[in-house]
Amino acid sequence: MLALNHSDLTLRLGSIAVLCIYSAVILLLSGILLLRFIRLAKERRRRKVTEIWRPLLAQCVVEVPETLPALKPRDHLIFLYLWNHYYESIRGDARTQLNELARRTKTDQFAKQLLRARHLRRRLLAIVTLGHLQERSIWNELATMLQADNAFLSLVSAKALLSIEAQTAIPLLIPVISRRKDWSPIKVVAMFGTVGADIAADTIAKAACQASPEIGARLIRHLAATQSQQGLPPLRALMREGTPSDDILAACLFLFGECSDPRDVATVRAHISHPTWYVRLQAASALGKMGVEEDEPLLITLLDDEHWWVRYRAAEALSNLPWMTAERMTHLCGALSTIESQEHMLPFMAQSNVRKTRPLPTAPPHL
Amino acid sequence: MDPTTNHKPTVLMVEDEEDTASLLKFLLERASYEVVHAKDGRQAQELVDTIPLPDIVLLDVMLPFLSGLQVLAYIRGNAAWEKVPIVMLTADGSEHDIKRALESGANDYMLKPFNPRELTSRLNRFLAPAA
Repeated sequence: MLALNHSDLTLRLGSIAVLCIYSAVILLLSGILLLRFIRLAKERRRRKVTEIWRPLLAQCVVEVPETLPALKPRDHLIFLYLWNHYYESIRGDARTQLNELARRTKTDQFAKQLLRARHLRRRLLAIVTLGHLQERSIWNELATMLQADNAFLSLVSAKALLSIEAQTAIPLLIPVISRRKDWSPIKVVAMFGTVGADIAADTIAKAACQASPEIGARLIRHLAATQSQQGLPPLRALMREGTPSDDILAACLFLFGECSDPRDVATVRAHISHPTWYVRLQAASALGKMGVEEDEPLLITLLDDEHWWVRYRAAEALSNLPWMTAERMTHLCGALSTIESQEHMLPFMAQSNVRKTRPLPTAPPHL
Repeated sequence: MDPTTNHKPTVLMVEDEEDTASLLKFLLERASYEVVHAKDGRQAQELVDTIPLPDIVLLDVMLPFLSGLQVLAYIRGNAAWEKVPIVMLTADGSEHDIKRALESGANDYMLKPFNPRELTSRLNRFLAPAA
């Protein structure tokens, strides 16, 4: 009897366990189905909104229609992504029409609400939109977000500030650029793309002068990407009046080489015998790009440098000199006194010979 | 475009990004072009082999399966398409890439973001009677 009772209890416990497992499986399946249903519904809604607004946005690039379909609040986020995509695909007057569309659909107000969203992605979207709309009323909020720990948030805020009013934003940005180690110099250069190369170069150079050697050197190296020489005067002043670190010196010499302004040749030459090897290296490379005939002996001297990379770059610089022909390089190599210096010249002599024998590319017939 | 005839110039537009394609299609159709759309490099290659000669090709550089430069080489390798003007359209504006595209046979190069008016006027340039 006792055994039977015990067996009953086990059976009952077993049944409860099976029931629990079944319930858990059903719950899990229902959860998966529910999530899938929500996802599909969202996707359907996104497709529907896109189908309505995609042709309208294309039309708005030319002119905004008099009547626009109603935009439900739940569809506004999808519209915002589309609007930004179109805005960033075009340039010129056409953007004015898109701005008008945004105001008429109350997108500016929606974006302002989104600025306080919990999700970072939504906040970023709001900042980008309000930057495009040049919404002056959120200036202070953007200035606060510029100091945010999150690099994305601060960088996007900086870009929006620049779009709203570049002249007022730049003094705010200089100390931030010089401090932020997590801001990619490439992104910083790109950020200034809309306000002009000269302003970009000048701002970044000033920020580099205030920055630590590590950040400053990174910024200076990317100044060449602005394709403007406006960054050179602050750096020349820094080299003349200050005591720049070796990292900054090397970066400046790199930039001088890239810009190849004849006014900087003397400064480059003065660093050819600098005690730090990577400063000598950058001086050698720069001379290869901007040097005159009297610099050739200086570069030849560097072929006997104690550091391998300096010798290599000096050989490369010699081969880059505009008057250097394959014959002249062969003659020069023969006159070198050490095997090491001759060995550095050989690969560049080979390259020079290849260039000499290769036929010039021909232009297509229709051009 | 010759306003005296009813012939609509055809443009083969190779663009993978849906929103950009929709915008380009709208702008081109508004400028009286007939648009044939290829969504990737492979489809563009198939169209080159099958469709009648278009008046112009508008070619994106970053494409799935085959890059714009590969499509460009394919088009230029086809004797019948040798004289079809090709305008490249891309977000990548490095001097090296522009030079490479022009050397490979592109006739013009436009950067994204583009100015809609500039786009149609550049395309129209290739359809002028003197061209």
